[in-house]
Amino acid sequence: MAVNSDRQNGTLIARADGRIDGANAREFQVALESAIDPTDSNVVLDLENLSYISSAGLRVILMTAKTLQRQKAKFAICSLSPSIKEVFQISGFDRIIPIHSTLDDALSALK
Amino acid sequence: MRDKPYKILVVDDEVDLEPLMLQRMRRKIRSGTYDFVFAHNGLEALEVLNRDKEIDMVLSDINMPQMDGLALLEQIPKVDPNLRAVIISAYGDMKNIRTAMNRGAFDFVTKPLDFKDLQVTIERTLQHLAEWKEALQSRDKLVALQNELDVASQMQRSILPSRFPSGDNYEVYGDMEAARNVGGDFFDVLNLQDDKVGLAVADVSDKGVPAALFMMSSRTLLKGSAIGYMDDVAGLMTELNNLLVEDNEASMFVTLFYGVFNPYTGSFVYSNGGHNTPVIYHADGSTTLLPLTNGIALAVVPDMSFEMHSVTLAPGDTLVLYTDGVTEAMNEHKEEFETSRLLKVFEGSPPSGAQQANEAVFQAVRDFVGDTPQSDDITCLSLHYEGPSS
Repeated sequence: MAVNSDRQNGTLIARADGRIDGANAREFQVALESAIDPTDSNVVLDLENLSYISSAGLRVILMTAKTLQRQKAKFAICSLSPSIKEVFQISGFDRIIPIHSTLDDALSALK
Repeated sequence: MRDKPYKILVVDDEVDLEPLMLQRMRRKIRSGTYDFVFAHNGLEALEVLNRDKEIDMVLSDINMPQMDGLALLEQIPKVDPNLRAVIISAYGDMKNIRTAMNRGAFDFVTKPLDFKDLQVTIERTLQHLAEWKEALQSRDKLVALQNELDVASQMQRSILPSRFPSGDNYEVYGDMEAARNVGGDFFDVLNLQDDKVGLAVADVSDKGVPAALFMMSSRTLLKGSAIGYMDDVAGLMTELNNLLVEDNEASMFVTLFYGVFNPYTGSFVYSNGGHNTPVIYHADGSTTLLPLTNGIALAVVPDMSFEMHSVTLAPGDTLVLYTDGVTEAMNEHKEEFETSRLLKVFEGSPPSGAQQANEAVFQAVRDFVGDTPQSDDITCLSLHYEGPSS
């Protein structure tokens, strides 16, 4: 489970691909944590190439959202496939984590 | 690099070896790398080994009074199978060297001692020992992990109801098939006042003992609060959420669907905390997915508000609650069972009872996944309603 990341105009963009389930959720957590600096103030998690996420994966995203809240950083996720969007809707996580349809939307929302 | 020196037991009946060893190895001793203890025959060596469990390796001569080095080699594993022994033999004494190696010596050096070579041999032995101990540790960790998962799975099983309430006009039945590595599903059926029945199905976001403990507290809090809140299922969810979110440093959460069924009227009032939406199979073969109530999983954010909905079951309706282990069950082509297949389980022949409905859903999932091992628990809880009781 690799997380690729780069920074654009001060915003960290992290990308996860493939599947996140109980078997690799910890790996995803470690990768995501090491991608984010304590000094980051804007973070977008781009899930365009993610095909599946289980509740264990949602938990990692929830922990990330909480960590970022503590460091007063803005956080958004973007480019969810319909099935992953449904997971966020059913779990109600779309009520606490801003979801954008494209990376550009997410970037301009964090400005 | 470890924080204490390696302890080496040197066994030789020649008393000259002791000062010589201490002199030649003085740098290693001073830097805290090695620590030497001495014995003068096999028996004495065994005594030292039994007394001092800190010893890492033995360096032993072969020819000694009372108990020789070859006999000592046979005894060492009985004291500690993780000890390693290096034998000192006369140059060219292949017979004894072979015997020593066959008896489990790790290596040998020859007399007269070449201390440079001895140091290399000691280092190699200790290196091997460190790797060996590391391997043992990871094995122990695996065993501990397996034990932990066993405990968690027993806890999970212990909270599932084994008896279900029933009346002359309704039937309830639930079951869970645990994944090999323990998931976080549970369900519960509660006998409430006025013959009402509380139905709950839930999925905790993690595995292992912490998740199982979280599951148990979710279930206990639900049971404890359900009687007070009765039909105010939204109020119950708000209360449960606030109770569970406290001290939840690990950011675990639980998706929970909870509803209260009234067998006299067929009404079912429910609130959904981030859980998959249940299905109603109607007597005419059609299906309904219960509308969501905009609820979020419990223990995520404090002071969330929850909504509730009410439906009235029609005679012959079967309500099926389930976890994502059903809809996300995967076959060998990595296809998921999905809600669409769940809706078609009873095509043409609507269920006639709760147990029959529940078993048919499990069978449909089993037929779909074949031999593909499942990574998540599969849970299903069904309610079949015949109509208002007369």
